[in-house]
Amino acid sequence: MNAADAFIVVARTLHFAACVSLTGVFAFECLVAGRTLRANDAEFGDGFGRRRRVSVLAWASLALALVSGAAWLAGVAAHMSGEPLGELKSSTIAIVLTETRVGKDWLVRLALALLLGACLIAWKRRAHWSAAIGWAAFGLSALLLVTLAWAGHGAADEGINGNIHLAADLLHLLAVGIWLGGLVPFALMMTAVQYVGDQGAVGIARTATRRFSAIAVTSVGVLLASGVVNTLYLSGNVPALLGTPYGQLLLLKIALFVAMLSVAAINRVRLTAHLDADSRAWQAIPQLRRNALIESAIGLGVLAIVGQLGILPPGLHTEPVWPLPFRIDPNALPTGDKILSAVLVVGFCACAVLVIVALAGRRKWLLGASVAGLIPCVAFAAPPLRRAIEPAYPTTYFASPVPYDAAAVVRGAAIYAQNCAVCHGADGRGNGSAAASLPTKPADLTKPHLFAHNVGDLYWWVGHGLGGVMPAFEARLTPTDRWNVIQFIRAHAAGVLAKSVGPEVTGAAAPQVLDFAFEIHGAQDTLSQTLQNGPVLLILYSRPVPDARLRQLAAEKRRLAAGGLTVIPVGPREIRNSSSREAKPPYVVGVSADVEKALALFRSAGDGGETEVMLDRNRNIRARWTASGPRSLAPPNVLIADAQRAARFAVAAPNHAGHGG
Amino acid sequence: MKIMKKILAALAVGASLAFAAPPAWAHAFLDHASPAVGSTVPATPSVVTLWFTQDLELAFSTVTVSDKAGQRVDLGNAQVPPGQPAELQVGLKKLPRGTYTVQWHVVSVDTHTTDGHFTFDVGGR
Repeated sequence: MNAADAFIVVARTLHFAACVSLTGVFAFECLVAGRTLRANDAEFGDGFGRRRRVSVLAWASLALALVSGAAWLAGVAAHMSGEPLGELKSSTIAIVLTETRVGKDWLVRLALALLLGACLIAWKRRAHWSAAIGWAAFGLSALLLVTLAWAGHGAADEGINGNIHLAADLLHLLAVGIWLGGLVPFALMMTAVQYVGDQGAVGIARTATRRFSAIAVTSVGVLLASGVVNTLYLSGNVPALLGTPYGQLLLLKIALFVAMLSVAAINRVRLTAHLDADSRAWQAIPQLRRNALIESAIGLGVLAIVGQLGILPPGLHTEPVWPLPFRIDPNALPTGDKILSAVLVVGFCACAVLVIVALAGRRKWLLGASVAGLIPCVAFAAPPLRRAIEPAYPTTYFASPVPYDAAAVVRGAAIYAQNCAVCHGADGRGNGSAAASLPTKPADLTKPHLFAHNVGDLYWWVGHGLGGVMPAFEARLTPTDRWNVIQFIRAHAAGVLAKSVGPEVTGAAAPQVLDFAFEIHGAQDTLSQTLQNGPVLLILYSRPVPDARLRQLAAEKRRLAAGGLTVIPVGPREIRNSSSREAKPPYVVGVSADVEKALALFRSAGDGGETEVMLDRNRNIRARWTASGPRSLAPPNVLIADAQRAARFAVAAPNHAGHGG
Repeated sequence: MKIMKKILAALAVGASLAFAAPPAWAHAFLDHASPAVGSTVPATPSVVTLWFTQDLELAFSTVTVSDKAGQRVDLGNAQVPPGQPAELQVGLKKLPRGTYTVQWHVVSVDTHTTDGHFTFDVGGR
């Protein structure tokens, strides 16, 4: 982390802490202190220095919020403009404040902070607690806190999902403010109770603890629910969690949160009960106070992580480096085992939390029961989960930075011929000239099983070898070349697999066609762009031109388009370039030599000069016909019905690593 | 009751552990461009348009187009078209045949910066 990043992290952490503290102070005054004191002794709350301490805390938090907010904005302005922090021009800050979204948000937040200051002055002038001022201050501080949701990625999403995500963010921040921010005011209350030291004070401690406990439990519930909703929307996954710095920090955040919950459990389960017993109450009060401060300290650690998370490089753009030598692949399990192990994993977590609760509350029977509960969870989940264990490598969850397209496949084919064919064979079946002399037969790269491996596994094997037989190519092939050859192997295997696809659209695993660019009516397009409009019928033909078929489809072009189907016929270049009559097939689609070569993988020798494949929106071959097949080419109305079936396959999530630029 | 609450909390912790993950970060990445990345166009397009995955801050976003010699061939009038906050457009001079490089540096509304470049050809290779 460089100095400029460290500056923003510190500013963010302090700003979050200040806003959380402000919200907590007024939430505590409105929801706990005000009512408690009205129910007991109104004078108490202002006596023995409590009110002065609360006031100092509020002023200090507001000052910190302003200073850290300004520092944060300066850091952001430097980052956006590329100017070093020390040489930041005031004109740059002016542009940020007036012309950017973050600047406008910051002006709104500055206004909120100033209004809050006015409330604090008004509060100081009054001798007694004023509900109106208290609630106004609570509202303003809560707004100051929740508007931070726009400072993060909350600003990014759009549409209904964005709104739900944003709502979850807002609730998450509000709950943090009320619970975490309320801990120090709660500790100040316990201090005042100790000063007073009489029976009435114990009553106040009881009421305050109950009330605070109730809003804390609600807040923790909201934190958990909104945290789950957020993470569901954030489309991350286990590899990103374990294998990226971002994910690891997030795990640390969750661990600290669990630690806070453990301390909170001691307060709620044990010490709150002690308050009711007169003999133990005077021991419980300082313990409650100490634990609240311990929770606050851990909470500050959580905020420091939040401060850091906001500036980390994009989680999904740094490839996750898988830290374990194995992975658990639930897809390898039958459905029954999958459900069983999921239930048992959840059961294990539940028992583990009960162990913490039992320890916190010193409940021996609960400890015994929950430990006993852990045993069957482990015993019954272990056998199916062991079957789901697959070897894994640091690169297992890497996505290919090289797209699955014609250029990569053609480059990969040349690399394959030079480096791989000697063992794996020119046709990929593991029967190269050197194969016979090897102790282990080279892998058959045309089996559907190839697609059961992550491309990241293939990448590791190409780079580092496998089983002491396959050599490592790390020194001979650049990373890009390794990805190119993997894309060729995938295309080749998909081509072999395609030959078994029948003329009916089914949900069976379907081989994927590579992406390619083509020119139609002088404009450039790509297969993947075209597929955004719906399924495509890809026609691969050679001489003689299947003129009758192309004319038939051209005549029905409008009806096919209305049925959601685009036809892309790809033929040999010399036909397009020659000047004979044959040169004018009804569809003229221009492709490069590379595309022609790569697409040839998806034809077979005996296709009678023409192969037609129906592609769903993921480029998967859902149906296939050949001119020589037992069921000949499909008439237009069948094609339309098939296109509608193919359109039903959901579009797979985009691969972020595949972005260009 | 307390125990029930704890069990529910435990389930929720388990669930949040299971689903917790880094966010899909909101950086503005190039989604597509016109002329398309790596494409060949028959004649000079009047503008280069870049579509990003995120809304942009025009004040800090730039795009330049240069020829093989590194000479600027854009009109220097980069703009985010009204109502299209995720697009960046710049006008072009009349271009002879050749390969041109588009270089972009953008700041998204959530303050993150990204940059990149690509080429396109005018008039066939």
